[in-house]
Amino acid sequence: MTAAVVAVDGLTRRFGSRRGVTDVSFEVQAGEVFGFLGPNGAGKSTTIRLLLGMYRADSGTMSVLGHDPARDAVAMHRRVGYLPGEMALYPRLTGAQHLAAFTRARRTVDHALRDDLVERFEVELDRPVRTLSKGNRQKIGLVLAFMHRPELLILDEPTSGLDPLLQDEFARLVRETTAGGRTVFLSSHELDEVQRLADQVAIIREGRIVVTDTIEGLRRAAPRTIVFRFDGDADAARFTAIDGTEVTDVQAHSVAVSVSGPLAPVLRVAADLEAVDVTARPADLDELFLRYYRDDRREARI
Amino acid sequence: MRTGIARLDLLLRRRGTIGYALGMAVYVFVIVALYPTFKNDASLNQLTEGGSTVAALVGATGSLTSPAGWLNANIYANFLPLVVLLLTIGYGASAIAGQDEDGTLGLIVTLPLSRRRILTQKAMTLVAVAVPAGLATVLAVLAGRGFGLSPGTGHLIGATTGATLLGIDFGALALLVGALSGSRAIALGVTSSLAAASYLVSSLAPVTHWVRPLRFESLFYWAVGNAQLRTGLSVTSAAVLVGFAAVTLGAAVKAFERQDVH
Repeated sequence: MTAAVVAVDGLTRRFGSRRGVTDVSFEVQAGEVFGFLGPNGAGKSTTIRLLLGMYRADSGTMSVLGHDPARDAVAMHRRVGYLPGEMALYPRLTGAQHLAAFTRARRTVDHALRDDLVERFEVELDRPVRTLSKGNRQKIGLVLAFMHRPELLILDEPTSGLDPLLQDEFARLVRETTAGGRTVFLSSHELDEVQRLADQVAIIREGRIVVTDTIEGLRRAAPRTIVFRFDGDADAARFTAIDGTEVTDVQAHSVAVSVSGPLAPVLRVAADLEAVDVTARPADLDELFLRYYRDDRREARI
Repeated sequence: MRTGIARLDLLLRRRGTIGYALGMAVYVFVIVALYPTFKNDASLNQLTEGGSTVAALVGATGSLTSPAGWLNANIYANFLPLVVLLLTIGYGASAIAGQDEDGTLGLIVTLPLSRRRILTQKAMTLVAVAVPAGLATVLAVLAGRGFGLSPGTGHLIGATTGATLLGIDFGALALLVGALSGSRAIALGVTSSLAAASYLVSSLAPVTHWVRPLRFESLFYWAVGNAQLRTGLSVTSAAVLVGFAAVTLGAAVKAFERQDVH
C-alpha cells in the first residue's frame, strides 16, 4: 500500500474553550474522494486551514503529499488546489483579471485546461465579480482550484450556490480527477453530495471525528426500519429488550422497529409473537447521519 | 523576482493612487501660482512671528514668504504628508488585515509563495503607492517655476523623498499592526493615532519648549519637520526613515508568518 496522501494524527487547535478541533485523526488515500461531513461550525474549515498551513496547530502531526504544512507549505501549495468555503474574490476585478493574476502567481497553470474549465462551467469572465451571483463566483473559484492540475484538491463546500446541472458537471469533474489517480478532499454539510461522490467518509462534530468509514460500511451500520404486522396486539416491549433495537412506532396491529444491531434476534422475537407480515426499508444513511450529528455518546470507530 | 502579488495589489489600489496624485498636482500648481500674490505680503509673516502655537499646529513656522517657507507651510508640513499617509496607511491596513477580513488573503497564502515573499511583494506595492503623490508634487512645483518660486531642486527632491519615506514608514507600521491584530480597524486606528501624535510633536517642537526634546521620537521631524526644503534631507534623517521601515517590515514578516489566515 502506498503512503497516504493526507495523514493527520492527533491534530488539535483550540480557539478559547469551545471552538476548534480536538484530536482529529484520519488518512486519505491516493485516488480517492474523501468526504468530510459535519454540521456548520463543527470544525471542517478549521481542519482544512490547518492542512493548508493557514493556521498553526497546537499539537498533532500532519502530512500532506509528504510535506509538513507548517514547515514546507510552499512545496505543498504547488501540488494542491484549494477552494475556500466562503468564496471571496476582489469585488472590483473581473473573472478574467482574477485568472490572469493567479496564473501569473502560479506559473504552472495548464492554460488549455483552464480555458476548458471556463467553457465547461460557463464562467462569466468579463464582469466585475461584485456583480456576480454566489454560484458564478463559486465557478471562478473552481477554475482557480483546478487550473494547475493539482495532485490533491481540497474543496470546502464546493457545490454551494451551484445549480443542479452544474453540480452534475462538478461531480463529473471530480470523477475525472480521481480516475487519473489524483485525490479529492471534499467537505460538506450535505450527505447527498458526499454519498454521491465519496469513497471514504469522516464525520466531524463539535471539533471531534465521530466516525470514519466507507460509504458502504456506513450503509451496513445504518439503522434499518422494519415494520411487523400482527393479528392481535403485540407486546412491543419484547423488541425493546433486544440490543441495538429501538421501537419507533406502535399501532393497533403493527410495531415499527429501528435495528442497528444484528437482525436474527429481532426476527426470532417477531416469529415468537406470530407476526403475519413484514416490511423492511433499505438502510437509511440520513438517519445514521443525523444520529451522529445529534448524539456524541456513540464511540468513534476509526 | 516574482511580482504577481505586488501587481495584483497595485491593480486594486490603482484608482486611489492615481487620483490622489492628480489631485496633488492640481493643488500644488494652485499653491505655486498663488505665490506671486503673497511673496511681498509682510503681514503673512506676522502669523508665525513670536512662535504662534496655532500657526504651528497647521504646520506653519518661520518665514512664510520665502519660496521654501511658502511651500513648507502649504504643502510639505501638512498636505503632502497627509495625502501620502492616507494612501500608505490605507494600503498597509488593507494589505494583510483587510484582505484577511475580506477573505481574499486565503487565496494568496495558499499559492506556492512563502509568507516572507508575499510580504516582500506587499512592501513593493507600499512603495509604489507612496511615490506618485510626491512625484506629482515635485513635477508641479518644477512646472510652476515661472511664478518665481524656485527652491533648490535637490532640496525639493530631498524633502519629497522625506515625505514619501514617512508614508512608507507608517504604511509599514499599519502592515505590522494588521499582521499582529488581524484587524483592519485596529491597524488604521493605531497607526493613524501614532501618525497624528508624531505630526503634533514635530509641528509644535519649534514653538513649545517642553515638546522640543521629544522631536527626535517623531518620524515627521526626520521627514519634513527639520527645514528639509532649505537644507535638504540629511543622511541621518534618511537613515532613520529607511531604518524604521526596514525594522518594521522585518517585524511584519515575523508577525505574518505566525498569523492565522482565514
